[in-house]
Amino acid sequence: MKILVLAAFLITLSAARVSPQELKAPQFELKDINGRVVRSRDYQGKVVLINFWATWCPPCRAEMPDLVRLQREHGKDGLQIIGITYPPESKSRVRAFARKLKVNYPIVLGTRELKARFSSDENLPLTVVINRDGKVSDIISGILLRQEVDEKIKPLLIRK
Amino acid sequence: MRNRITSLVVSGVMVMTLGVMTAAAFTKTVTIKVEGMKCAKCSSSVSKALKAAEGVEDAQVSSDKGEAVIKFDDQKTNETKLREVINGTGFKAVAEPQ
Repeated sequence: MKILVLAAFLITLSAARVSPQELKAPQFELKDINGRVVRSRDYQGKVVLINFWATWCPPCRAEMPDLVRLQREHGKDGLQIIGITYPPESKSRVRAFARKLKVNYPIVLGTRELKARFSSDENLPLTVVINRDGKVSDIISGILLRQEVDEKIKPLLIRK
Repeated sequence: MRNRITSLVVSGVMVMTLGVMTAAAFTKTVTIKVEGMKCAKCSSSVSKALKAAEGVEDAQVSSDKGEAVIKFDDQKTNETKLREVINGTGFKAVAEPQ
């Protein structure tokens, strides 16, 4: 009897485990640093990377040229990057930085709460990968590595 | 028959010992000072990038001490390349003393 109860408990536990792939990405509607509205629903059917970053975070700054290149090369394949800053941050500093790096995707001033809606991981940078079905397929903690781009992002861009 | 088994066992042990000695000879440990790791949230990128680099067997990064202790295979990588990996994360590997 005890074994049966234990087995039932384990089955329930495994069924209750939710992998990131099963999670629908949080919806949002925010204004970017140029005053344009950025709505998650406007990117339906695209592969979206939500990149949490800060101007005071060295690895965030280091990976940005790669993100700009990724957006330039794969925008036509349905990739959309959205940068969300992490406080403390000022709009003028972010705007100057984005202009200097010729950032080609929207940048939004974020909050701690906004980042927490996507992940409890406290590291920066943090990149949330959302597939074409609007589900979180991966959360990449720390600087984005080339092999992560190849393994976790590029396969999602191939249209079936 | 017994002699053959004994010689096989002895050769096996010798080959294994040689393998372990060779692997140990290629493994080196280096401590590199890293500037700018003031933000605990950001420092994990140094460890992540180092551990993903070819030839790195282990990397322990301390933002408090401002250093990275790296165990690596010197047949596959070297200290110069490890410094480049650190610099690629936006932090600065302090130059080696001349």
